[in-house]
Amino acid sequence: MINLLFFGRLGDFAKQVPSTMAASTPAEIRELLAADFPDLGRELNQPQVLVSVNKMIVGWDQPLFDGSEVAFLPPVTGG
Amino acid sequence: MTDRIRIQQQDFDLAEEYQLLRQSDSAVGAVVTFSGLVRDFELGSDEDRKADPEGLSSTKNSIDLLSLQHYPGMTESLLETIVEQANQRWNLIATTVIHRVGDLAPMEQIVLVGVASQHRADAFEAAQFLMDYLKTQATFWKSVRRNGEQQWIESKDSDQQAAARWDSSADE
Repeated sequence: MINLLFFGRLGDFAKQVPSTMAASTPAEIRELLAADFPDLGRELNQPQVLVSVNKMIVGWDQPLFDGSEVAFLPPVTGG
Repeated sequence: MTDRIRIQQQDFDLAEEYQLLRQSDSAVGAVVTFSGLVRDFELGSDEDRKADPEGLSSTKNSIDLLSLQHYPGMTESLLETIVEQANQRWNLIATTVIHRVGDLAPMEQIVLVGVASQHRADAFEAAQFLMDYLKTQATFWKSVRRNGEQQWIESKDSDQQAAARWDSSADE
């Protein structure tokens, strides 16, 4: 299973999302989520949203393995 | 090079951090520190900022609380990378980056960037670079509470532009 994390405003759209799911790429997770949660799907498809796997920014077609931690990251606003 | 990177809920003491930088090496000839504070207002979107760039209607926008979220583990390693890049570009003796997380009230300190070097140009430029990169690359997210309602802060084009100037100067 893949562990899912949603940061910033994405967290507001992901309150009903399970914390784990089975998938082979972040793009597939995005697709599956968009089918069940259209509002979240729209947010995840924004071009500024980045995805990380095990705390490294990666492309959407990065292969996932059991236990991978996938985080969806909206534009950062620290400092 | 002495690098000090901290993500913490508690406040920091600017004077203490300055002393650590000052005393990091007898070759230190310049120390630059920047500290960022919570304003009592925060404009949400680029549209809001266009409508009221100076925040003149700050009574309308004044906030009760600023909350900072981060991605534990990832934020630390991104800050380390940013500090490493600064060390590669400038001749630095010591660098401190402290970023607070959690709930902060107006006028509280959010962030400290401090740089010690032999000469002032390195310290000035590196401090600006560190802040510009921290603002656009480190995984922190701000939200504000205003009249009991939480609102996420949107990223600013001006911050992206400030960070982009360092990309172009890399070719010089």
